[in-house]
Amino acid sequence: MTHSLHRRGTTDSLKNDYVLLVTAASGINHIGSKDKLRQVLELVWEIGPTNIGSNETGTILSGVDLEEIRSNLKEVPRVRCNFANKGKAREAIKKLQELDLGMSVTMSGPTEDILEMCNEFNIKPHSINFSLDIWGKKGKLPAEEVLEFLTMCGHGLVSRYLVEETIEKVKQGKMTPQKAAIKIGHPCVCGIYNPERAEKLFEKYVLTS
Amino acid sequence: MLIDKDKCSGCGLCLPYCPYAAINLEDKIAVIDQDLCVECGNCIRQRVVRCPKKAIYEPRKKIYGTPREVRRFFSDPATTHGVTGVPGRGTEEVKTNDVTGRVCRGEIGIAVELGRPCLGTTFSEVEKVTTALAKLGVEFEESNPLTHLMDDPAKGTFKEEYKQETVLSAIVEFNAKIDKMTTLLTTIKKVAQEIETVFSLDLICCFEEDGSIPVLPILEQLEMSPRVNSKVNIGMGRPYRIRREA
Repeated sequence: MTHSLHRRGTTDSLKNDYVLLVTAASGINHIGSKDKLRQVLELVWEIGPTNIGSNETGTILSGVDLEEIRSNLKEVPRVRCNFANKGKAREAIKKLQELDLGMSVTMSGPTEDILEMCNEFNIKPHSINFSLDIWGKKGKLPAEEVLEFLTMCGHGLVSRYLVEETIEKVKQGKMTPQKAAIKIGHPCVCGIYNPERAEKLFEKYVLTS
Repeated sequence: MLIDKDKCSGCGLCLPYCPYAAINLEDKIAVIDQDLCVECGNCIRQRVVRCPKKAIYEPRKKIYGTPREVRRFFSDPATTHGVTGVPGRGTEEVKTNDVTGRVCRGEIGIAVELGRPCLGTTFSEVEKVTTALAKLGVEFEESNPLTHLMDDPAKGTFKEEYKQETVLSAIVEFNAKIDKMTTLLTTIKKVAQEIETVFSLDLICCFEEDGSIPVLPILEQLEMSPRVNSKVNIGMGRPYRIRREA
């Protein structure tokens, strides 16, 4: 799973972090869905995601372009992207409603905000996946400040060691928050990591150094 | 993954990218600890590590067709397991729930993702959770590759050859009637104290016709507040399914 519901962070920080997934269901409506998903790619690209990618290609952060993502859509295609503000997430829902392609759409982010958007467009949401937090040996986990970065990768591929090393570089003035945000985003291949939010998180290390 | 010693320049670029610190420098050459490596593929992606000598490679014959292959399927999202037909280590869960009807009204879907965040898990650890749940009569999700590694799904036990394999994460997924929610979550909370790793816990349910969320009062009784962020299936998929047919 893309784990987007388990992103850590303060309520204020999470308000700038929305993950859109448009998915064809394997064995039900995936046949002939590639063209529909290509339309979705165009639509979200126009809105301006902060990140977009696919498991097959990687993301725009690592140098992939939209054409490469489009031409590599699989037989059970998916579109995954991140919007760094509520306005763009809202626009995506509105346009997908107008397009009415019959593909499944999920939005991850602050529950209250997503339900408000649905209400605004008279959409009855189908189901919800709640995060009931982390359990077990939590003492083995890195600091919450590190988890804020790590949990933005949908598949756990951003290494804590890379994050910790990069935080140190930012603290020492050897790397800008912008470059740091891009660097740690490379391992997230599916495209839901939020570099704008990451940059803001890195900025606090510049201010406190 | 392995590193070609003849090609490696010992630059160390790849080291911090490994989520499990499996890569170390020995005599100025990078070496991957095969016990720690979960075969996630981070280090061989040229757009991630960008090894200047292209020294890192996948020894396919040592992985596929051996118990080690589960490391690939449960750690690298770019792989597709033959059972699910979808990329990744779980099912499409809530992503396509409006057409699959995997979780319908009156039901809950629970996912216990062992190893997330960032600690990883062995299947011995997973078994602690699945055996506790099996005693409650839980039927594990057929479409999740994890279920196919079990030797006895009714008991929640795994085949011996997989028990010590380490993976980035493994998702225990199942459905239940909503009236079983208290017992199930209480058991999960209890088993959390017995494991050596962590898990992230998901709870799926459908909205009622009036837009209410039926699990919220039960969660309140259990003193388990959902976090502020969630994943919402907007309900745009067709054909639409929300009720379980008799």
